[in-house]
Amino acid sequence: MTVAVLARLRGVVARLDWRDPLTLTVIAVAVVLAYLGLFPTVMLLVGSFSTADLGQPGDATLANYVAAYTDPETFRLLLDSFVFALGSSFISITFALALAWITVRTNAPFRGIFELTAIVPNIFPPVLIAISWTLLLSPSVGLINALLKSVFDLSEAPFNIYSMPGLVFVEGLILTPLAFLIISAALRGMDPALEESARMLGSSQFRIVRSVTFPLMRPAILAAATLNFVRALESFDTPAIIALPARIEVFTTKIYREAFAAYPPNYNLAATYGVSLLVIALVFVYLYRRFTSRVETFATITGKGFRPHIIDLGRWKFVASASALAILVLMVVLPVTMLFFTSLLPYYQVPTMESLQQLTLKHYGYIFENERVYRAMGNSLLLAVTGASVAMFLAALTAYITVKTKVWGRGMLEGLTFLPWAFPSTALAIGLLWGYVQMPLPVYGTLWILLIAYVTRFLPYGLRAVTSTIVQIHSELEEASRACGGGFWMTFRRILFPLMRPGLIAGWILLATIFMREFSLSLFLYSPSSEPVGPLLYFLWLDGMTGPLGALGMLVSVVSAVLVLAARRYARADE
Amino acid sequence: MQVPSKGFARRLGLVGLCFAIGALSGAAPAAAQSLAEAAKKEGKVVVYGSLESGVMEEIEAAFTKKHGIKIDYFRASSNKTLDRVLTESRAGRTISDVVITNRGPMLLLKKEGIFAKYVSPESTNFPDDVKDPDGILSPIYRQVVVGILYNTKLVKPGEVPQSLEDLLKPEWKGKWVMPDPSRHFTTGVWVRNLEQLYGKDWLAFAGKLAAAKPILVESFIPSVQKVISGEARAGITYLKYVHIFGKEGAPLDYVRLPKMLADGHHVGIQAKAPHPNAARLFEDFFISAEGMKILAAEGEFVTAKGLYPPIKDADKVKALDMDELSRSEYKKWSADFRKLFVTR
Repeated sequence: MTVAVLARLRGVVARLDWRDPLTLTVIAVAVVLAYLGLFPTVMLLVGSFSTADLGQPGDATLANYVAAYTDPETFRLLLDSFVFALGSSFISITFALALAWITVRTNAPFRGIFELTAIVPNIFPPVLIAISWTLLLSPSVGLINALLKSVFDLSEAPFNIYSMPGLVFVEGLILTPLAFLIISAALRGMDPALEESARMLGSSQFRIVRSVTFPLMRPAILAAATLNFVRALESFDTPAIIALPARIEVFTTKIYREAFAAYPPNYNLAATYGVSLLVIALVFVYLYRRFTSRVETFATITGKGFRPHIIDLGRWKFVASASALAILVLMVVLPVTMLFFTSLLPYYQVPTMESLQQLTLKHYGYIFENERVYRAMGNSLLLAVTGASVAMFLAALTAYITVKTKVWGRGMLEGLTFLPWAFPSTALAIGLLWGYVQMPLPVYGTLWILLIAYVTRFLPYGLRAVTSTIVQIHSELEEASRACGGGFWMTFRRILFPLMRPGLIAGWILLATIFMREFSLSLFLYSPSSEPVGPLLYFLWLDGMTGPLGALGMLVSVVSAVLVLAARRYARADE
Repeated sequence: MQVPSKGFARRLGLVGLCFAIGALSGAAPAAAQSLAEAAKKEGKVVVYGSLESGVMEEIEAAFTKKHGIKIDYFRASSNKTLDRVLTESRAGRTISDVVITNRGPMLLLKKEGIFAKYVSPESTNFPDDVKDPDGILSPIYRQVVVGILYNTKLVKPGEVPQSLEDLLKPEWKGKWVMPDPSRHFTTGVWVRNLEQLYGKDWLAFAGKLAAAKPILVESFIPSVQKVISGEARAGITYLKYVHIFGKEGAPLDYVRLPKMLADGHHVGIQAKAPHPNAARLFEDFFISAEGMKILAAEGEFVTAKGLYPPIKDADKVKALDMDELSRSEYKKWSADFRKLFVTR
């Protein structure tokens, strides 16, 4: 097989035009992606077939696969995980679509504020949001349950968060910002001409949305759904907090139990389980590519002037605002209020009228006087800004190559970016750790390893965000530039880059906010001299210091909000 | 099973520790002086461990003030600490000087030859049964005691459970919390060590615990949090939380069980420590009366003679060190506990 591939490669190489900057770019991107993606993946694949710890010489074995897949439980868990992932992905898309349409395309009042607020949950570690919801919906002490019980004089709590619906609901809310960013970026870049023609032909507003807007949004919706499905499949925090008391087990909690919580940890088994997540993720990426393969169909940004027009909803605009507000109350207001209370209360508890007398600012004092917090904040800001920029640059080039060119192997490029993403992040971190600790370069023990890890893992998010805008750009613009003598880089910089800007900014914001508080990779890879915010947050949680945790969470969210605002200002700078 | 009883050890050691310290510092002042100087030249000490960050901050403040040496602390779970140390050692890139975590991983690292021999002059302050006979690890400097905590607002004085058995009564069904022993390592070890309390009937007793349908959580922290928030009325968790959260006002107290199981913790110095003198100076300070006082004040049951955490009746607590499980034992038992506790 290798020989055949090599022979084919040789054929491709022979046909290359080495003077074309496009060719050089493609090669450079391919090398970078292959390096980022294959390096940890190979480490893990080898590990899944080995008897020894990763990086150690061992014998080849199938024992890990036998252990993982002859357990009849595995398949039931996969089914439960599937229901969980599908359900939460569906909820996130529904909420995100409604929010995106209202904030981007209508004249609903306060839509600007709504749009900013919708990103907030992305700033908080998912674990904090899940905890907030247990304080709200626990059948025994949950605030909402207690309230409903006393108002309607119920004898039993109406909601039980410790159930499959509870799990799906919370994860769905956690996943919504990602879908919102991708879908709203695509909506913003949509050509209104199609909608206008429909209107002129006498279609109702609803009909236009259903038969014009919605189909045009399909790549973005599918992109978001794919990402969120896989993200839910491999999410760990929400199941750990909500599914465990319900005695539901999903795939990730099983991996955790058998591999990471084993003593000492069994990373070979973790890698083995990771392989099935990888396969599922790759199937979804393939399906996504098939659904969006007729790229021209979605090209709605053409050489003609475009600026999606704002739909006047008339009196309905208040209804729209109210719906957006309702979603945001669930997504942001309720959990963040709970966190805010947590940061002001001396110990972890459900806020009540009684506990309001205990409010204190001492946790903020602790955070602001702590030297480690400043250092970590500096490290994380640096990682967020640099990491998001590097990743979006790489994502833009990759998206261009995979969508707009007919280069051989372009599908593989996209596959490469998804490889490291499909492993559970802890497994990926182990692969990276093992790779770099043995390398003589000064990467291990510095911020570099974190930067590499972040870009490797989260590149697919950036790629999805930018791909869904790039498919909308008609090639005629590029061709015009080229016809006028613009070279590849000139065209990229002057034509494509500005047109891709909504997607780029959306991706940048998404990545920067994730990087500000990332912990599952950081935990494995940081060293004391390069500590980012994520591990700090995690240890505050681990040590039960929920007050300082809430305070630091609030601080991180303010810093992230500033980053988001700065990115948006830049996006609007020359409109 | 070797069972050093802490209460016993403590009673033995009610001799004033000041004498011990005084004798020590008089014995070898010159050596201490040169160690401090050599350590200062190395500039800093890198510590990997599972010691709670808040406690480490207190230690660092005192240590840095005394010796002018900074501590770079990498805090992780005990499992991750173990893993990180092994990984770096195998790759020949030892970054840490000192490792602090619980007995199981420390013994494993010791077996791997990670640590250098070092018997700190400060270890004379500890009872003999917590000392490492090979002179490699520090004495077990603290015992993390597992017991029953309850919410004093929800459980009236007459209803307080008096024993683990009381949690099996119908009125307690589903109202108490514990970490899932099939996924939380220390809890798995705890259930296995019930043998120390219940003899050969321990497995039957574990079955009864499971049948009482406790609320299962990820670890001891969510366990105590559910007790504080009132989601559970009582829970199996670390005794020290009575102080750690109680001092903030959380309505917590513990059941005065006659004997409780505990996890011992050690300090070890890397054989390839980049800052070997600073590492020794750190261990000396950490297990000295000064260091142990800091830990005790934070709620830790330290084993240094005559020191107790600010928890009521702490001096009466009898802690039995748990026996560690090997990789294969833990695998077997966690699978068995899963069948008992989790299967719906």
